[in-house]
Amino acid sequence: MVEENLLVNPFGWAAIILVATSLILSYRVLFGPTLADRIVGINTVTTKTVVILAIFGFIAKEYFFLDLAIVLLMVNAVGGLILAKYMEGAK
Amino acid sequence: MIEYFLLLLGESIMVFGTLGILRFPDVYTRLHAATKCDTGGAMTILIALAIASEAPLLIKLKFLVLAFLIALINPMVSHAIARGAYKYGIKPEVVVDMYAWDNP
Repeated sequence: MVEENLLVNPFGWAAIILVATSLILSYRVLFGPTLADRIVGINTVTTKTVVILAIFGFIAKEYFFLDLAIVLLMVNAVGGLILAKYMEGAK
Repeated sequence: MIEYFLLLLGESIMVFGTLGILRFPDVYTRLHAATKCDTGGAMTILIALAIASEAPLLIKLKFLVLAFLIALINPMVSHAIARGAYKYGIKPEVVVDMYAWDNP
């Protein structure tokens, strides 16, 4: 049970730093000057979320989190491509 | 020992990428910081997890598959966003003048 605490594991500290940087990045998503800035912020936050899911799966030894991370990464790819195609068409 | 070194390297890459996205002046420079630093940081942290894990070999291989998919997908999406932003009408503000650097 001690092993599953976030604050004794260095990987848990890594997850806390990733959550903090994602919260800082939400400034770029909310107040970005153009549409492309917001899409860059969303893409980066989603990649950080994939790494956070992998770290939680490693700490709790519940390895189905890795499947969730792979699915979220593929959704990120399709969503980013669709938003880029929308940005090409919209003027 | 080496997994903690890789973890520290990945975390520092992530933090400096966040600083770059917050402080750079333009979409294209922000995209440069995002794609380089985020892809490198995520892959380094996932390789550290694959080394430090005590799981059987197939689950370690799943961490490496995740790192490979990040290396495949993230530059592709960044390229598409840069192309879309240029066709959307955003002109780059930063101009690099190498001749003025050499001859002040």
